[in-house]
Amino acid sequence: MLTRRDLLKHTSAGFGYLAMAGMSASQQSIGTEVESSKSPLSPKQPHFAARAKRVIFLCMQGGPSHVDTFDYKPQLLRDHGKQGKYGGALLKSPWQFRQRGESGLWISDLFSEVARHADDMCLIRSMHCDQPVHPAAMTQMHTGTAQFVRPSLGSWTLYGLGTENASLPGFVSLSPPAGSSRNFSSAFLPAIYGGTKVGRIGGRANQFARFGPGQTPSVPDIKNPRLTDQQQRRQLNFIQQLNRSQMPAEESRNVDGVIQSYELAFRMQNAMPELMDLSQEDEKTLAMYGATGGETETFGKQCLLARRFAEAGVRFIEISHGNWDQHTRLTDDHQARATACDRPIAGLLQDLKQRGMLEDTLVIWGGEFGRTPSAQNGDGRNHNNKGYTLWMAGGGVKGGYSYGSTDEHGFESVENPCHVHDWHATVLHLLGLDHTQLTYRYAGRDFRLTDVYGNVVRDIIA
Amino acid sequence: MKPSQRISSVIGLLLVLGSLPCHALEIGEPVELTADQTKFFETKIRPVLIRECYGCHSSQSGQAKGGLKLDTRHATLVGGDSGAAIVPGDLDSSLFFGAITHTDFVMPPKRRLSDEQIADFRRWILDGAPDPRITKPVEQPNGTIDEGSIREAKETFWAYQPPHSHQPPPPSSREPSSNWASTEIDRFIEAKLHEKDLSPAADADAASVLRRLCFDLAGLPPSPEQLDWFASAYEADAQAAVDRVIDSLLKSPRFGEHWGRHWLDVVRYAESTGREVNMTYPNAWRYRDYVIDSFNDDKPFDQFVQEQIAGDLLPVGNDTQWSNNLIATGFLAMGTKNINEQSAQQFAADLADEQIDATTRVFLGTSIACARCHDHKFDPIRQQDYYALAGIFRSTATFFGNPPSQYGTFGGPQQRRNSSSILLPVSDEQSIGRSYSKSELEALHDDIQSTLQQLSDLRRGGASNSNRPNVSNQQIRLRLQNELGSLSAKLSVVDAEGNPRSFCMGVQEAKQVGDTSFLVRGEIDQPAGRIQRDLPLALKHHDFTIPNDSSGRLELARWIGSDQNTLAARVMTNRIWAHVFGQGLVSSTEDFGMTGAAPSHPELLDTLAVQFVDSGWSVKSMIRMMARSRAYRMASTFDQASHQADPNNQLLWRSNVKRLPAESIRDTMLKIANQIDMKRPLGSKVAESGYQRVRSEQLGDPRENLRKAFENAVAQGRQQGFSPGASPQAGANRRPGGFARGPANAGRGMRGNQLRGGTNSQQFRDLVAKATQDASLDSPSDNHRSVYLPVVRDLVPRSLEVFDFADPSMIVGSRETSNTANQALFMMNNPLTLRLSDSFANRLQDEAETTGQRVDLAFRLAYGRRPSETERKASLRFLSQSELTPKQSLSAFCQGLFAAAEFRYLR
Repeated sequence: MLTRRDLLKHTSAGFGYLAMAGMSASQQSIGTEVESSKSPLSPKQPHFAARAKRVIFLCMQGGPSHVDTFDYKPQLLRDHGKQGKYGGALLKSPWQFRQRGESGLWISDLFSEVARHADDMCLIRSMHCDQPVHPAAMTQMHTGTAQFVRPSLGSWTLYGLGTENASLPGFVSLSPPAGSSRNFSSAFLPAIYGGTKVGRIGGRANQFARFGPGQTPSVPDIKNPRLTDQQQRRQLNFIQQLNRSQMPAEESRNVDGVIQSYELAFRMQNAMPELMDLSQEDEKTLAMYGATGGETETFGKQCLLARRFAEAGVRFIEISHGNWDQHTRLTDDHQARATACDRPIAGLLQDLKQRGMLEDTLVIWGGEFGRTPSAQNGDGRNHNNKGYTLWMAGGGVKGGYSYGSTDEHGFESVENPCHVHDWHATVLHLLGLDHTQLTYRYAGRDFRLTDVYGNVVRDIIA
Repeated sequence: MKPSQRISSVIGLLLVLGSLPCHALEIGEPVELTADQTKFFETKIRPVLIRECYGCHSSQSGQAKGGLKLDTRHATLVGGDSGAAIVPGDLDSSLFFGAITHTDFVMPPKRRLSDEQIADFRRWILDGAPDPRITKPVEQPNGTIDEGSIREAKETFWAYQPPHSHQPPPPSSREPSSNWASTEIDRFIEAKLHEKDLSPAADADAASVLRRLCFDLAGLPPSPEQLDWFASAYEADAQAAVDRVIDSLLKSPRFGEHWGRHWLDVVRYAESTGREVNMTYPNAWRYRDYVIDSFNDDKPFDQFVQEQIAGDLLPVGNDTQWSNNLIATGFLAMGTKNINEQSAQQFAADLADEQIDATTRVFLGTSIACARCHDHKFDPIRQQDYYALAGIFRSTATFFGNPPSQYGTFGGPQQRRNSSSILLPVSDEQSIGRSYSKSELEALHDDIQSTLQQLSDLRRGGASNSNRPNVSNQQIRLRLQNELGSLSAKLSVVDAEGNPRSFCMGVQEAKQVGDTSFLVRGEIDQPAGRIQRDLPLALKHHDFTIPNDSSGRLELARWIGSDQNTLAARVMTNRIWAHVFGQGLVSSTEDFGMTGAAPSHPELLDTLAVQFVDSGWSVKSMIRMMARSRAYRMASTFDQASHQADPNNQLLWRSNVKRLPAESIRDTMLKIANQIDMKRPLGSKVAESGYQRVRSEQLGDPRENLRKAFENAVAQGRQQGFSPGASPQAGANRRPGGFARGPANAGRGMRGNQLRGGTNSQQFRDLVAKATQDASLDSPSDNHRSVYLPVVRDLVPRSLEVFDFADPSMIVGSRETSNTANQALFMMNNPLTLRLSDSFANRLQDEAETTGQRVDLAFRLAYGRRPSETERKASLRFLSQSELTPKQSLSAFCQGLFAAAEFRYLR
């Protein structure tokens, strides 16, 4: 049998093959081995039966406070003002916690809308990572390490599973913050597994915006400023005619790849803007996401886009929301951040559920770390990487479930600690991939997302 | 100049900063505490430390503010970014004491310790800071590789044997009539083919051979005239024609630009730190030019290697050579950096690690950095071998930043690991970067002084002068610090007259040199004894000694850049082969270890490696030897039977079809559109913009960029009637060889509305568009060869990025070649493609009369051949479409030729 690595070695790394591979993937049944030998992106069999087919990762940048959201600490309330374990006065949460749903999970009022889905949520309340500063922790959250340039979780997923839509990229990062490209890069994996930036980012799109109405395309070079579709099709026909005339009959590998890349690009020109055009969504749906205006509009639209991408067959979709870094003004600013995303996330969960997609879509919510139970600058909290909460929903995780815990105040994970590596192993497992088997040889070594670490957290799997 | 004099004057030239990677300290001797000392510590010292300090400075809290932890004796003595926290017996040097007494730092930040507590600490420090918090001394773990297995590897593994020259096999007895082989290389190739019952493909046609030579040696296509000449010369005497072309290409400056770029891939050349806080390297371009010149001069490769590892330490005859050698050490300075790393110790360890990784993989095809945390899994490289090399690099000071101004250096929480740069002994003839007039300089000084004043007011608790509510003092401090940083960075690189001085990035010997500690699992707080600096045992065939007062870097350089090791010559020979033939004799160009590929033709590789050394390490000689072989001239024709026997063409039964590198694709578009500017630009866009954090695709202040564009437009307007931005040829009319740059005395702080006054609104919009394009790192309006485009990590120009440009954060010996939708979109819609399609169409209109002639010429320019009958018909049909104007169709047709597969493949 061919391994993934063999495939990469012996086939042209042609995105273009997707066109054909995609066609047969939609009638997917037998002969996938043959098809998959054509493109490194065509759907691949997981190592074992997958619970989740795709991932929507809601990345909360800046470190949202676990003790104010999903980690209920009654002792913190009682000990408010006392000295914490590591100095500093303990600060009770300004928000009320309540038990939610049948399961009775404790969730604060910061996420009262999300809390309506408590029975679908699986809280990991014992997360910890090695990095106390933002960029490094963010990089570790995505790639497993902050020290080296490594492929991100999304790239590994795409490498392991391929993608299901021949007209779209398989790993999409919606509106990532500027300078975060390491977090969706393929590093040493073939470039084809890297994330595709979609939407505005700090860098490419919006320079000089204040000087005039600049056209901001969603994907670079997605539209021709001169030719109509028909004229461009005609030009493309000419190009393909040249390609075919240049193709030696016996060996068409390279030229085939080029031919297919143009067909895919041409389809993307329509598919991407169409997919990103929310004008066909009805008022009810938009309202469900809070995408009709106000402070929830931006993130609401992104959540809705994420659902559309998921529906269209994109394997891994990441959207970011920040900035949760409240060293000061915790009460006001955490409230503002949460308000902007509470309804959109609840809408996303509801929408996925009513479309029957939640069962095989893994939704992940989390930041690079949490915040200290002790106060900083009065109304603020410092970074806390020793213990924090991340939650997942759908995609084969137990609903209404809480795993692990931090100490009485929330400083560090004490029961069933779950390191980022363990979480990575678990996500891959839900996708049907064995994190110890998903390897890539680079610089003389077989690399994996979890390096030599990681244990699948079996307790959270439904 | 004697070496010793030279070294001391280098140090004189340096502007050294406080936070350079300092040498690993080892403070771990256990001390017995008396009962009184223990009691004092446990009652007076430890509780206060826990209560007041551990929250931000301990492993338990996971916080190490300012790189400082205070929860072990070791950590306390080592200290943080600013130095040792406690120096036993010395209150003045103990930063901790300064902090609690609020002399330099203010700690704890919110309140002052009681006088009684401060007195306790004073007493404790003066008593020698007896501290029982000693972490158990760590033991070196037992390795998994013993000396026996290293010895065995040295005796048996092919790459660890010195290469020997082999006699080429005699002409095949099976086919005595064969006169295919024309050079030694051919005889090695032919013999292997015959072993497998394969035969070499027939010679390629003249046009294919010439295109191959031109692209492989210089990265650009031949002209139609050259094609004509070569066709007849090749027919008359193929070998002579090929030799003549090779000679002329090797002499052309285009050669170094093309082959230099190959080298830049391998050494992860870039003009910024990359990572989260992406700071520019304004002087990286000097290394780029150094590499290009070295290839053009055919600098002996052993010397080239030594200069890059230890150019600062090599004896020199004059200052120009010295400058050149200093620039070469930029190799060790330009890796990716985590500039906001909290811990200076961690940063120093990571920096050395990056240097070890680059040095060993680039020159030796051996991955030693694998052994940072444990013995190498596959190769006979022990963890102690890693730390033996680490000592050499930890004894090296690396300069990758900006010099301090007279006011100092200003970092801030995002930019903790500052570094300086090296002042060159020879200044640039034409200065590079921004100049300042007298009044501008004064204004800079004023700004800095007033910002410093504001900061000091803020520190003294004075109310900030900001009226904005909700802005904390910390935020203001941050803003002021950032401002100071950028003001100081401007001032520090110009002389008293405001003219730019010439700096480079690179390395020097550290103030302290010595062995470094073995770190268990690679963790900086797990030192386990020092390891003597040395070469990896598996690679060492001769004695290696390092003088006491030297880092050992010079000795290492002399060993790597020589035939004292078994790898350097083989690795470079293989790199050259890979570029000429499309794949290496060893296909894993960076991995000559156990997990790498075995050579397909070991005897050929060794013979060539020996010849490489014998030729005086001449890269050009090696290229000539390979390119004039018959094997190079083979057609790339497919053959089913051969394919079945050798699907990867390792035995070279035909020529490999090569995808052109991104640079060649863009350069060829520029060339055939008659737009290419072959002059080498002075510096680079990054140098022009200076030291700064890269936050978007535009470097620098948009207003400043607009001002530059305005001034250029005015300057051009004087020459040719003012119409800023209107001319598509604008790029060609800029100052010779330079990037858009304002005159030295340009008005400071000019605002958009002032500019608007002078032009109408359309002109203003054009100007803005032009300014955006010119300042963009994407560089769509730049017409220089691609090797001169800015290479800022994570913001590589799209024209290069889409066609598999080497990721500048990685060591890349063989690029990927992919076919992606992004490439298609680039060819279909990108502004650069559209602009060059127009220019190509203009050229066709200028140089050919009829549509038929234009089609002919277009094919000749784009593909080096005439169109087939079908292609001609298809072209004419496309050009006759009615909806577009003839000019538009011609441009769309030209774009089609760029877009088609043949344009990017070399057969």
